[in-house]
Amino acid sequence: MFLLNFIPDAFLALVVNAVLIAGLVGTVASILFKLVIRYIPWFIPYRTLLQAVSVLLLVAGVYFKGGIGVEMEWRAKVKDLEEKIAKSEAESKAANQNIVTVYKDRVKVVKEQQVVIQEKIKEVEVKIDSQCTITAETIDILNNSAKGPQK
Amino acid sequence: MKNLFLVPLIFVLSGCFFGTAPVKRSFPEVPKELMESCPDLKLVEKTEKLSDVLKVVTENYSQYHECRIKADTWMEWYKTQKQIFDSVK
Repeated sequence: MFLLNFIPDAFLALVVNAVLIAGLVGTVASILFKLVIRYIPWFIPYRTLLQAVSVLLLVAGVYFKGGIGVEMEWRAKVKDLEEKIAKSEAESKAANQNIVTVYKDRVKVVKEQQVVIQEKIKEVEVKIDSQCTITAETIDILNNSAKGPQK
Repeated sequence: MKNLFLVPLIFVLSGCFFGTAPVKRSFPEVPKELMESCPDLKLVEKTEKLSDVLKVVTENYSQYHECRIKADTWMEWYKTQKQIFDSVK
C-alpha cells in the first residue's frame, strides 16, 4: 500500500477498473459458457481455467476498487492535513515575529528607564555620598547575595 | 473449486492492515532572543561611595526586569504555539 503513494490516481483507477471489468466479463462468460462455446468452440478445454482466473480477477478487482476508494480518501485526508499544517506553520511564524516584537519593545522600555535612573543617581551623587559611607562588609554582603547559590 | 473462495477472503482481510498517513509536522522554532540565558548579577567594586553601590543595584534590578520579561515571553510563546498546534486536527 505504501508504494501506491507513488502511482498517479488516474493510472491506479485505470488498472483497477481494467481488472474488475476483465473479472466480470470472464465470470459472466464462464456462467454462460454454453453460449460462449457456440462462437469459440476451441475454448471448451479451458472452462475451469476461465472460471478460476475470472473469479480471482473479479475478487481482486472488487478488493482493489474498495482499496482505491480508501486510498483516495486517505490521500484527501493527507492533503487536507498538509494544508492545515502549512497554515499553522505560517501562523506560528507570524506569532513568533509578534512575540519577539513585543519582547523587544518591553526590554527597550526597561533599558530606557535604567538610563533615566542612572542619570538621576548622577544628579544626586554628591548629596548621597556626603551623607553615607559604605563599609567593606556591606559590599561583601551585597555581592554574596548577588552571586546567589554557587554552582 | 469451493476452497478457491478462501484465498480471496484471506486476501481481503489482510488488506485492512496496510497504510499510514505520510504527514510530517515540524516543531515550532523558538525565537533566538529567548534562547539566551539571563546574565549573572553585577557585583559592586570595593568603594565607600553609596552612589556606586546604588548604580550597580539599580542595574541589577533592571536586569531582573529584563529576565522577568523573558520568562513572561516564554510563557506567552508556549501558550500561543500550543493553541496553534492544537488547532490542527
